Amino acid sequence: MKTIYLDNNATTAVAPEVYDAMQPYLKDLFFNPSSGYEQAQPAARAVSQSRQAVARFLGATPPEILFTSCATESNNAAILGVLRANPARRHIITTQVEHPAVLEVCKDLARQGVEVTYLPVDSSGRLDVRDFVRALRPDTLLVSVMHANNETGVIFPIEQLSRITKETDPSILFHTDATQTAGKIPLDMRSGLPAVDLLSFSGHKLHGPKGVGALYVRKGTPWRPYLIGGHQESGRRAGTENVPFIVALARAVELARERMDDEQRVRKLRDHLEKTLLANIPWLEVNGAGAARLPNTLNISCHFIEGEGILYQLSAKGICASSGSACTSGSLEPSHVLRAMKVPFTAVHGSVRFSLSRYTTNEEVERVIEEFPAIVRNLRNLSPYWDTSRDQPRSDPSQIIG
Amino acid sequence: MAWDYSEKTKQLFMDAVQGRPGTHLGEIKDADGVGEHGSIACGDALRFTFRVLRHETDPLRDVIVEARYLTFGCTSAIAASEALCAIIEQGSFTPIHALQITNADIVKYLEGLPTQKIHCSVMGAEALEAAVFNWAGRRGVDLRKLGIDIEPHEQAEGRVVCKCFSITEPYLRRKIKELNLKTISDITSAIKAGGACSSCHHAPGGLQDILNEEWGTQASPAPATPRADAGKPVAAETPGVLSPFQFFKKVESVLKEYVRPMLQRDGGDLELVDIKEQTVYCRLEGACAGCVGASMTLKMMVEQTLKDRVDERIRVISV
Repeated sequence: MKTIYLDNNATTAVAPEVYDAMQPYLKDLFFNPSSGYEQAQPAARAVSQSRQAVARFLGATPPEILFTSCATESNNAAILGVLRANPARRHIITTQVEHPAVLEVCKDLARQGVEVTYLPVDSSGRLDVRDFVRALRPDTLLVSVMHANNETGVIFPIEQLSRITKETDPSILFHTDATQTAGKIPLDMRSGLPAVDLLSFSGHKLHGPKGVGALYVRKGTPWRPYLIGGHQESGRRAGTENVPFIVALARAVELARERMDDEQRVRKLRDHLEKTLLANIPWLEVNGAGAARLPNTLNISCHFIEGEGILYQLSAKGICASSGSACTSGSLEPSHVLRAMKVPFTAVHGSVRFSLSRYTTNEEVERVIEEFPAIVRNLRNLSPYWDTSRDQPRSDPSQIIG
Repeated sequence: MAWDYSEKTKQLFMDAVQGRPGTHLGEIKDADGVGEHGSIACGDALRFTFRVLRHETDPLRDVIVEARYLTFGCTSAIAASEALCAIIEQGSFTPIHALQITNADIVKYLEGLPTQKIHCSVMGAEALEAAVFNWAGRRGVDLRKLGIDIEPHEQAEGRVVCKCFSITEPYLRRKIKELNLKTISDITSAIKAGGACSSCHHAPGGLQDILNEEWGTQASPAPATPRADAGKPVAAETPGVLSPFQFFKKVESVLKEYVRPMLQRDGGDLELVDIKEQTVYCRLEGACAGCVGASMTLKMMVEQTLKDRVDERIRVISV
């Protein structure tokens, strides 16, 4: 059975071009780029050219790009590095729906006496810019708001938020976790996001390998390194450069840049999937409907059933997707994102996220459209809340939901 | 680090080490200008000499005709020295005119340098400057009269903090105290340190750390905003005799009386979102919300009206 992979917000398949690009540096060109002899030159040059490629991808300059091991490292380094460079300020603004790599860092800092404001979102997953303005304080050190949410695909107005931040007080630093947007929507630190100081993303969300990420640090940003103990990355991220993976990341961003137009096709596929499922299945709801969303993400809640059962049946059909259900999370907690959107519990547990990629085909989407209604029906047949004979909820739904 | 040098840099280096004709390795006997920069302790040192064609009456019209260097340093330091001499000889500069040659010119001549090697180009420019000062002394030219800053470039041995300008920790600490430098930008404007690649600003043991150690962490720079002194009693922050409440009411009434009617005429409106001291956050609504000139409208019209009628210090931010 052929696998239909629709979990691209979790990770992506390594592009064949990326795989090819990194091979030489795992084998013959194994040298340490810091070595002075001629033989190591290609490795050093590869790192330098990769940095230029990532800089081009972001509209940045090469010295503003640091290679890291993943987006989680980039996020930790961004937040902790800013805090350590600016000890006089002790207030951070973030959102309730950040990825744990930002949210948990902030919560841990709160335990250490840093004040954190967690901005709420509305039922569509949107921030209210007014809440943001009111949260800004004279001692605000950092704003860290994700560019797009990994679960719902809702895009936040980073350009606007960062502009307001700098107009209020240029000393407040602005970080964005762009892990979900890099490669899906164009990023430009010069014209698009000129007020953003720090930006994180990783390789494996845009058809690169796991184990490599990048952190953009705008020139002149007061920020201290996180990993210390080497001159690599101009002393700002010590540790021998992971040459093959850095090369892979560069190839992946080049491909993403060349193939940005594919995102229009992905959007059409996603919209088709969304429209058809909504038309064919009752009591289905799109999480993030009404908000600006990533072109590839569809998060739907199937009321009255549990997500794990959906995923299990999908996987039996070869279809890979994910869920905000508690049973599918390592922590057994339901999605903090959907909870922040005040999605009722019955619907949080029945949430399914399909995330497409440029490799997703029409046929694959048609297969999902074909299989999904039966999967939902099977589970609703078992659900105490569902009246199968009448194909509707058993009692007044408003009594159940909430 | 294995460096990725330009072809030009490699070529200049190879030519120099092989002593090919047209290269500038060496020292001019009885030179008219002698300048040094760096020290062996720093890993880079450059001795730069030049000879001029002396003008009979006016030393300011001397023209540099020959330049030579002795350089202790890496590939790029030697190539940068070659570049410096070549630029000067090709340009028929007067010494004063030569002061306009910067490290950026050297980098350009080399067709680029890796960021970590920019300091090699700075060294050339600094040695040139020192040599011109030396020439001025010999020729009785008063540079101060020409408006040229001749603060001597003393060096102290020790750990190099700013690699671009070869500035050592002891020297930095002395200058921070002598010149009362409180922030990184104070340091950069006074003694150049941190002015090029900026990687030493917040590095461990970098400029901010040294500032913190010299002045104590408490003296770390106050954020450069009007709201840095937020610890003061609120009354001191409010304009004139208005309390925060009165200030708010006044802004609100001016908006209501003068601003909103104008917007409403065009089918728009304005929401007052927040006020933080003298910063007023507004949001355009209705027909104005999608307007391209919306933020311009806010800035020009709303801000000016509030400045005129409430407080000159008011800033408006469109949200």
